[in-house]
Formats: sequence, C-alpha cells, structure tokens
Amino acid sequence: MAKYQGTLLFALVLSFILAGCGASQPAAGEGSQGEVHLILGAYTTPREAYAEIVPLFQAHWLEETGQTVIFEESYLGSGAQSRAVVEGFEADVVALSLEADVTRIADAGLITHDWKAVGYNGMVSTSVVVFAVRPGNPLGIADWADLAEPGVEILTPNPATSGGAMWNVLSLYGAALRGHVAGVPAEDPEAAREFLTAVLRNVIVMDKGARESITNYEQGVGDLAITYENEILVGQQAGNDYEIVFPASSILIENPAAVIDAYVDKHGTREVAEAFVDFLSTKEAQEIFAQHGLRSVDPDVAAATADQYPPLEDIFTVEFFGGWPQATEDFFSENGIFNQAIQQAQGQ
Amino acid sequence: MKAILSRRKQNGRSPELGLRAASFIFILLMVVIPMIVIIQDAFREGFDEFWHQVSQPVAAHAILLTLWTSALMTLINAIMGLATAFVLVRYDFPGKGILNAIIDLPLAIPTLVTGVMLVILYGPQQTLGAFLDQQLGFQVIFAPPGIVLALLFITFPFVVRTIQPVLLELDIQQERAAATLGARGWPIFRRIIFPALALPTLSGSLLSFARAVGEFGAVVIVAGNIPFRSQTAAVYVLGAVESENRLAASAVSVVLIAISLLVILITNYLIKRRQIS
Repeated sequence: MAKYQGTLLFALVLSFILAGCGASQPAAGEGSQGEVHLILGAYTTPREAYAEIVPLFQAHWLEETGQTVIFEESYLGSGAQSRAVVEGFEADVVALSLEADVTRIADAGLITHDWKAVGYNGMVSTSVVVFAVRPGNPLGIADWADLAEPGVEILTPNPATSGGAMWNVLSLYGAALRGHVAGVPAEDPEAAREFLTAVLRNVIVMDKGARESITNYEQGVGDLAITYENEILVGQQAGNDYEIVFPASSILIENPAAVIDAYVDKHGTREVAEAFVDFLSTKEAQEIFAQHGLRSVDPDVAAATADQYPPLEDIFTVEFFGGWPQATEDFFSENGIFNQAIQQAQGQ
Repeated sequence: MKAILSRRKQNGRSPELGLRAASFIFILLMVVIPMIVIIQDAFREGFDEFWHQVSQPVAAHAILLTLWTSALMTLINAIMGLATAFVLVRYDFPGKGILNAIIDLPLAIPTLVTGVMLVILYGPQQTLGAFLDQQLGFQVIFAPPGIVLALLFITFPFVVRTIQPVLLELDIQQERAAATLGARGWPIFRRIIFPALALPTLSGSLLSFARAVGEFGAVVIVAGNIPFRSQTAAVYVLGAVESENRLAASAVSVVLIAISLLVILITNYLIKRRQIS
C-alpha cells in the first residue's frame, strides 16, 4: 500500500507544479514595460517564412512605437487551426490556407470587420496546384491527361481531412471542364467527372494532409504527387531531388490572413495585430514569402520573381465553381462529385 | 489484498462504502458520461438520421474493413500470444528476461511511430516490401495487410500478459502426473493446459479486439486511406470531423462502441456459463 501512496503523492506534487506553470504564464496583451503579446495561429506551410517575417515586424514595430512585440506562434493544419480558434484558442491573427477556414471564424462571430477589404482581398500569398515527378521525369508526365494513364501511381491527400486535397480535386476537374485536358471535351461535366474517376483509380495513398503526402513521396512512394507548388519548392530547397511539372491549367490557391476582432479587443492588441496583417502585404514580407515557395500577391514582387513562378496558360480561382460554399456542397458533400467519382473508381 | 479487505470489513462499513462511492463516481465521470455524450450526439437527429449516416456506402465499408482486419488480427494474436506466453513461462533460455521485457514495448511506443516504422520496413520502396510486392505480388503497406500488421504490433502484449499469470499459477504437478501416466506433449496441452488457459486467452483477445477497433495513429500511416479500399472507421471519423460532419463521426463511433460492448457481453456470458458448468 505504501508504494501506491508514494505514487499518489508524486502525482499530486506533479499536478501542483503543472498548475503553477499554467498560472505563471504571461497573459496575452499589453505588458508593463512596453511589451505587447501577439498570438499568431497559422497553418504549417509558411512556418519558415514567418520565422523571417516575424523578426522584421518586431524591429519595425519597436522603431515605430518603442514597444517590443512578443510573438506566440501556433502552427497546425489550416482546418484544425480554424476550428481551434472557433472553440476558444484566442489567436489575435490567423494566417490560413483557404478562405473557408477564415469564413468559419467569421461565421462564429469572432471576426466582425470586412477582412477581405484589407490588403489584397485579405490574401497574403498564393500558389498553384502542380505535380511532383521523379528525377528526369521517367514517365514523361507533361499535363493532366497523363495522370489518367493506367499504372501511374499517384499520391494526393484525402479531401475529407485536407484542404489541400480539395484544391487538387477542383484543379483537376476545373482544368478538364475548361477544355485544358487532352481528350476531354470542354464544358462537359460528365466527361470531367469521368476523367476525375480515371485519375482517382491511380491514387495509391490518400494521406491525412498535404505535408504527409509529400513526405510519403519523399520516402519513395509512388510516381507522382499532386501538390502545391510551394511544397515542391520548399522540398527542393531542403535537398529533395524530385522535379516540378506545371500543368497548362491550374487553380489559384489563395491564402488569407485576418485579425480576430473578438480576441484583439479582449487582449487590447488591435493596433499591433492590424499592423502585423498590413505588414504581411508589404514588399519586404512578400519577398520573403516568394523565397519560401509562395507566389506573391504584390504585382511588382510577382513580376520580379516570374522566373521561378512561371505564369500558366490558364489559371482560375474557386469562383469558377461559385465560391467555396458552393464548391464544397457540389464536390465534397454526401452525393458530391468527388464521392461519386471515388465510389466509381473503387468499383463499388 | 484479500487480507486487507477482510480486515477492513471487520473494522466497520464506512471505509468500504467510501471506496465503493469513489470508484463509482470515478467510472461515471471518466467513462460513462463521455460515452453518453457521444451516444446522445449520434442520435440527436433521430434514429433515421443515425442509420442514414452509418449505412452510407463509404461509412459502412470503413466499418466492415475495421471489423474484419481487427478480427483477423485477434485470431492471429490469440494463437501466437498463447504460444509466446507458454514459451516464456515454461522454458528457460538465454535472453529470456530481455525478451519478456520487450513484449511490453509496443504499449510505450506512440502508435504513429509504429506506423512509420512499418512503412520503413514493409513499404513498397524498401527491400522487404519490394520483394513481397514484386516477387509474390503481395502488397503490405497501403493495403489491408498493413492494417493487420499494425494492429498486431500494437495489441500483442494484451494476450501474452493476460495468459502469463494464469500459466504461472497452473500446477505443474498435474502435467507431470499426466506425463507419468504416459500422456505426451499435445494431449497434455489439450487436456490440461488449454482448458485452464482458454478463458484468459479469450479475454486477452477480446481486449486486443476492442483496442484495435479504435486504433488511429498507426493505421492512418500504413493503410493508404482510400475510401472503399483502405479507409478504416477511425480514419473515416477523422474525415467526418474535419469536414464538419460531427453527426457522421458520432454515429460511426457509436457503432464501434456498440460492437465492442456486444463482444464483451458475449464473452462474459460464455465465461459465466463455463464457470457454472
């Protein structure tokens, strides 16, 4: 019995220590000596970019106001981050991978201003859906049509768990519908869905998220990964030898950032939070995004980095499908186009 | 423990009552209430809507895949767990202590790591995985066999550890007596050892089945997660949560809970009937 009492005592002491840690954590918001805390809730892709942008902004803000900004940064999948904010993670600023994730926070009443009126429609970076292929492109993949060839092993994440996979599906289907896939007639939804089915038949793994998918590809799984341009560029910077193939037609992925009104008002951090979101649209910050694989929303920076980010023949946004709510309903609901196609692809 | 309890009984009822109340409240708070929340959530829009969610082809397929992979794993686990426990208790060999300690390791390894490890070992790009795939046409990772492997690894200790203590307590004199009477290996095992071990094997297997049905971390890495082919119920539930379909998530969870509960009840009934006879 004595042994268990010891364990119990230990557990008690431990819980007191933990509770103490919780209590001694600094509260967000204005500190006493010209300090201000800013909580950033972001998706994982631009983590490296923020590691450079944050110090720049801190220097900028210190010069401007004499205040030191102390950042608390959280990186999660975009959807998970968005839900965490809705459920009470008090981020002052969010930077997410798709508009729908910011809309969810706005719908919960936490964002009350017109966040799309800030900067470039509320967007701080963009990317396109492309393919990663093995060194030397052994299968000679050139465009969407090649993905439906029998025997090509494809990786793309699961649209139910990954915003990135939704972009992939929409990009593929949109390219087909707009007449940019060889052998698929334009403006023919039935043909576009069949093309989607043929590609899904070649999918061997659907990972939980875009990052897991590219990690699997790096480990040597599959012939081709459908992914974001920035994932490939960052992977190449890290020394991976896969190559990038740009399809003729692709969807423009737009990544928003916004101030969360409810939490900045609670923390008294509105001024610095708005300044930070504005700062993300400056040329300084935009150049950093461009160095980390993301296309710039600033026309000048975009023009200057066009070598690395070639313009595609045809580019469309989610508006082509009537915006996110409509696209989610049409493609990813119970009887949506994606679910029909996967069911057909698996012969059910 | 028995001695302590009976002494307490003589000292009066109150400590015993306190103990009972404490454990009752604990179970209520930690297990019963969360379960009720899930069940209530699954039926919040009525039984028809619950059934609609569960009987959707993609959900039904995920549940079936989970059940058959878990059942297959349980069968393998029961046989191999019994054999392992027998070897560990009845034979002496160098390194036995280490082997005995290693058996518990799967419980300490994050299951996500288990998944990654299996991909490294059996993945299509690895020597072993490539050999199986190309020479034998047997794909392990990103296919149901990978799920079974992952579940086996994770739940292996359950069967071994439930059998071991029973086997240790089993009177070896009975076996010796049978041997003196001329019985050899297999009849001894079948007539004397197995009857004593049937129940612990059953309950250990059951535990591993219940644990396997809900497994997520390792499965999401090795399965491939393609709806209608390699997506298990737990991964489907994650997808439902991520796409704001909490009703589907709760409904499928309730089905898994109900199946586990049913299996437990059946086993308890079998055990009871056996004890009476």
